[in-house]
Amino acid sequence: MPGAAGEQSVSIRLIVNDRRHQLETPAGETLLGTLRERLALTGPKEACGEGECGACTVLVDGAPVASCILAAGSVNGRTILTVEGLAGTGELTALQQAFVSHAAVQCGYCTPGLLMVLTALLDDTPDPSEADVRRALAGTICRCTGYQQIIEAALDAAQLMIRSATS
Amino acid sequence: MQFCRVRSVAEAVDELSRWGTEGRILAGGTDVMPQYLRGEQSPAALIDISGIEGLQGISEVGGVTSIGALVTLRRLATASLVQLRHPALAQAAAAVGAWQTQTVATLGGNICSAAATADTLPALLVADAQLMLVSKSGRRRVSLEEFLEGPGATALRPTELLRAIEVEPLGERTSEGNLKVGRRSAMDLAVVGLALRLSVTPSGVVSDARIAVCGGTRSPHRVPSAEAAIAGSQLIDGRLDCAEAGAELASAAVPERADSAQYRRRVLPGLLSRLAERCVTAILGAGG
Repeated sequence: MPGAAGEQSVSIRLIVNDRRHQLETPAGETLLGTLRERLALTGPKEACGEGECGACTVLVDGAPVASCILAAGSVNGRTILTVEGLAGTGELTALQQAFVSHAAVQCGYCTPGLLMVLTALLDDTPDPSEADVRRALAGTICRCTGYQQIIEAALDAAQLMIRSATS
Repeated sequence: MQFCRVRSVAEAVDELSRWGTEGRILAGGTDVMPQYLRGEQSPAALIDISGIEGLQGISEVGGVTSIGALVTLRRLATASLVQLRHPALAQAAAAVGAWQTQTVATLGGNICSAAATADTLPALLVADAQLMLVSKSGRRRVSLEEFLEGPGATALRPTELLRAIEVEPLGERTSEGNLKVGRRSAMDLAVVGLALRLSVTPSGVVSDARIAVCGGTRSPHRVPSAEAAIAGSQLIDGRLDCAEAGAELASAAVPERADSAQYRRRVLPGLLSRLAERCVTAILGAGG
């Protein structure tokens, strides 16, 4: 039986930001490792490395996950969206634009994770209450700005999206 | 290390019998992966069961709810069937970590990790949860109470897989709830967690009370002496006096030498009163 010596590789297929990939990854590699080291998608950040801070948040089939503790092998065949995929067409999303106008970014390290979890929220709950936004943000830590501008940006983006959908 | 992806229960039990104690089951991985990444665990194989579709359903079988071991905490927290029939479980699942955790973390994982702080376990204990275990040599059914053998320790054999969890839905004139106290309302372990399931007769007598706690030094557990202190009580003006049960709960569930024992002992009676009030209101509101 193979012991701890050497990691065998596992073959995975992923759709990341609308592009298909077939990869060989070490058995214990995290999705974050695969995205950053193999696909050069450095938007998702590694901060705590323990699934506690949310800087590594990406969407798997539309749902937010902490990619730093998710085994890459277990998302075989799934669809991944990282912060790089948000402005895929070259235009910022309403949420990204709202982050800019509300100055919801300071050092920027947590921003990719915040954008992803809020993207999932606005998809799930298009007209969220402030409590919904706060609850969605509970797993994504910002140590610079405080959360007020971030919450206001999310609420503003929701209203903007509702208006543009109905106009 | 090898990564074994299995697509069915049959494949899973094959791999488990092949690897024995050298294999580690990977479901959502929110416990297993951090332990592996920190070097606390170095299994020869991760047996990834997350793709087994047969373990992802919630169904009603003969009056009980059967929950597949891979049902995620997010689904438990948001599914209307769970909120209606198993509100304490839905509330407990919503209290675990944050959205990112709940997306992948599974009920089976929370049970098999068997942490003293496992948030869903009190709600499962008051619903008399039964665990369906399967291995290459057969199936067995074990109550959650028997399954838990101490923090991090369970009766699961190395070759066994938890397949499903069966829980009793709420009966007539019965309600339940779950409350957690941590240092934060998200992303933190329970200092204490409490679940209460309460049944009241039309004449206002408590016919059944089940109380379970987590967050102490032991595995999550029922507290029979506190249950006995409520059972048979008469509601007075639509209220249930929980003072005696609260005092009993505090002393029975928190050993003197436990960390923050004084704090836990002060918090628990208040949680019990709030849950009792919530349950009584729901029962009286539903049927008078």
